[in-house]
Amino acid sequence: MVSSSRLLSGKTAVITGCNRGIGKAILDNYATNGATIFACVRKEEKEFSNHIRILSEKNAVNIIPIYFDARNKEEMKQGVKKIKDSKKQIDILVNNSGIGHNAHFMMSSLESLKEVFDVNFIAPFLFTQYIAKIMVRQKFGNIINISSTAALDASEGKSIYGASKAALICITKIMASELKAFGIRANSIAPGLTDTDMLSFLPKEFIVNSREQKEIIQPSEIADTALFLASDASAQITGQVIRVEGGK
Amino acid sequence: MSNKEKYDLIFINSFEVKENELPSLRYQDVDTWDSIGHVSMIAELEDVFDIMLEMDDILDFSSYSKGIDILKKYGIKL
Repeated sequence: MVSSSRLLSGKTAVITGCNRGIGKAILDNYATNGATIFACVRKEEKEFSNHIRILSEKNAVNIIPIYFDARNKEEMKQGVKKIKDSKKQIDILVNNSGIGHNAHFMMSSLESLKEVFDVNFIAPFLFTQYIAKIMVRQKFGNIINISSTAALDASEGKSIYGASKAALICITKIMASELKAFGIRANSIAPGLTDTDMLSFLPKEFIVNSREQKEIIQPSEIADTALFLASDASAQITGQVIRVEGGK
Repeated sequence: MSNKEKYDLIFINSFEVKENELPSLRYQDVDTWDSIGHVSMIAELEDVFDIMLEMDDILDFSSYSKGIDILKKYGIKL
């Protein structure tokens, strides 16, 4: 944890895909730092419901679960409507939902290409369009997109996944330019190999060959960077990609 | 305030135009109705009328009068 002070006190965040891995670490971090949170996940699960109940009680914050499948536009709209109907200001949007994919370029199917881009690029693109309208009215907001070093390193076996995350970085930079007029900033975090469920599905050959990353990053370390970008400490940072991988 | 008055007020405030200019007002007729002004105006409309416009309608929203037709699709009568 960066600080024991509550850096997000009085702020409201929307976080997607926060029932495990990096998203859950960001949820925990933001709650500890005093944020009100709309926790967006695909479906209701008892374990997650218990987690947010305990987390909100422990930190005296409000955590509101929002359920939608990121691939279902109508479900997403209903989720956005619930957020809008709350009439809360939205200070922070973290687009974290994503799926992994590992395959040689020559063994990557069109079906996989569409599925991964649906979740990793199109969903955050559309969701941000909706949430950014709230931010446009407010004349402030902060968008954080969770990308990957795979988007920057052209790692073997990551043609689809890397391209989807590269597209997310590109649109982040464009958001930063176009939404600056409304007081909205946008940045990306590019985690390296991180200790999540996604890593467990990665074939060993790709871990060894991926890069010369010295150690596996912990989700909490990504969350600390997400805290920095969400806080006023980074008020003049926009349109950037921050690698979090511990160096080569 | 009637829906028509709310609609007019959004245009007047968003684009800094006078009421008598509204009926013929089209996208980019005035400097303030550029892409940034358009985004602001749409965000305000969605909030005031509690609707979520489809992207096709946002792109099709090319004039004050066209907007009236579009809002009808969302059950907003002006």
